[in-house]
Amino acid sequence: MLHIEGLRKSYGEQQALLGVDLDVSEGEIVALLGPNGAGKTTLVSIVAGLRKADGGVVEVGGVDALSRSREVRRMLGLAPQDTGLYPVVSVRQNLRLFGELSGVRRSALRQRVDEVAQALAITDLLDRQAGKLSGGQKRRVHTAIAFMHRPRLLMLDEATTGADVETRGHILDLVQRLAEQGSAVLYSTHYLAEISSLPATVAILDRGRVIARGGVAELVSAHAEPVVELAFHGDPPVLADLAAERVDGDRLRVRAPDPAALLVAVLPTLPPGSLAGVEIVRPDLESVYLALTGRRYQEADAAGAREPADEGGGAGVSAS
Amino acid sequence: MSPRASWAIMRHEFRVMLSDPSTVIFVVLIPLLMVAIMKELFATALRAQGYESANGSEFGIPAMAVAFAAFGVGYAGFTFFRDHGWGTWDRLRATPVSSVDIMVGKVVPNVMITVVQLLLLFGLGGPLFGLVVTGSWLALIVLILVLAVSLSAFGMLVTSVARTMNQLNAVGSVGGMGLALLGGAWVPVETMPGWAQAIAPAMPTYWAMEGFRKVILESGGLDAVLVPSLVMLGFGVLFTVLSAWRFRFEETKVYYG
Repeated sequence: MLHIEGLRKSYGEQQALLGVDLDVSEGEIVALLGPNGAGKTTLVSIVAGLRKADGGVVEVGGVDALSRSREVRRMLGLAPQDTGLYPVVSVRQNLRLFGELSGVRRSALRQRVDEVAQALAITDLLDRQAGKLSGGQKRRVHTAIAFMHRPRLLMLDEATTGADVETRGHILDLVQRLAEQGSAVLYSTHYLAEISSLPATVAILDRGRVIARGGVAELVSAHAEPVVELAFHGDPPVLADLAAERVDGDRLRVRAPDPAALLVAVLPTLPPGSLAGVEIVRPDLESVYLALTGRRYQEADAAGAREPADEGGGAGVSAS
Repeated sequence: MSPRASWAIMRHEFRVMLSDPSTVIFVVLIPLLMVAIMKELFATALRAQGYESANGSEFGIPAMAVAFAAFGVGYAGFTFFRDHGWGTWDRLRATPVSSVDIMVGKVVPNVMITVVQLLLLFGLGGPLFGLVVTGSWLALIVLILVLAVSLSAFGMLVTSVARTMNQLNAVGSVGGMGLALLGGAWVPVETMPGWAQAIAPAMPTYWAMEGFRKVILESGGLDAVLVPSLVMLGFGVLFTVLSAWRFRFEETKVYYG
């Protein structure tokens, strides 16, 4: 449904995308994962026709998105990163406007407003002014707009940023339901933990490139292994024949494909009374990111968030 | 272009406008107040030009109507900046509507509001200030329509150039006031310095005032307003072409600051 090949984009001297390759099939949810500044929003914006690419191929449903953007926009639903609602009119009028502009008409429009509102638990809010809603409620309405015409390609850019647990649950449920009906979903997020809530495959975007693509379990087994952390009272001892990394002065971190075997071998060799604690860190997407980039995800995320916004233009869309 | 999409955006723009009608009320009430205060001054000026029986409203109503319509040119751009501020600009652009649909949907309501504003001022001019239109009302309405189109197009040109709301306010409102002043909508052109009189015809407002004078004071009909209307329409086309050339849909407009 979505085919991206060699996609490049820069803002002046700042290179946002350096040749991205990505495919999303019908019925598939792809979590586009990456720290702040990785290029996620730039990628989504180019697919939606909001930004011009410097080069590469983008096709949606076989249609060239770079030259036939309007045709492509009929197929896609987008919830941008920043909440976008008309605050002085009602929730219903917001949904109706964007539904109508996306080609939903008359009774189908009324019916679809009710369906989407029910799915996101905003039925009671339909006749309230959008500007008077709470942050979580606004987030739901903002996301609801993207679902109005049952898009064949749904792109949610950081859809749950700042959302409460209930809102997050409703959004993720609806995403799954749309995918079950055959739509392709590109779900951009910088929250690693969120991926486990979705039956999604993962594309990790880092510094303008997709550095890993596949299922979570597949990526973890391919790129990361468990780590055993041993904490000591005072200076850690030297562990013979083991590549141990000293952390925070009194701890040793050892990579171990089989943590139990490692402990059985190491524990008897330690000086009596020196061990303060043992922790087995199971590999996850953060381990994958660390293995592939040499940087901790949280640090990269925080560093990206500190970088100035790009000059790409367009309200509320930055190169994150 | 999709008329259906433009119509949906237009209806929505009216809804947004009506959620806070204070601006529309303001641009009708304040000009009426100004006519009430300055009517005698205008009467003196008209009598000095040979219109012995003038009561001042013959200049005051069209002058204040043109001045406040020009003052409001920034409002055409405000709808764009507001969408950037509300985060709805990219949402609109991500729907399958064309750029022309969005422009038409946003600009036409502004033209219509300006027409209503002008019609109300001329309509209330009779009962409130004794304004008598000696010529054709149809010609007057034609002038109102082309003036609204021309000023809205100027508003779009300003919008296409301005990057921040402050720039829009400065160029739109103050520039609009300048248009009105140099076009003879604050004081009759004949009373202005020579250099100002020389550049007055370069303002669409000058041609509006010229047309209104012919219809109100000189019993003019459609033939009398043909040249002023065509010149204003020409300005409208020029402003539209320039703003279409300059407008960047992907450009960030800064709502605050």
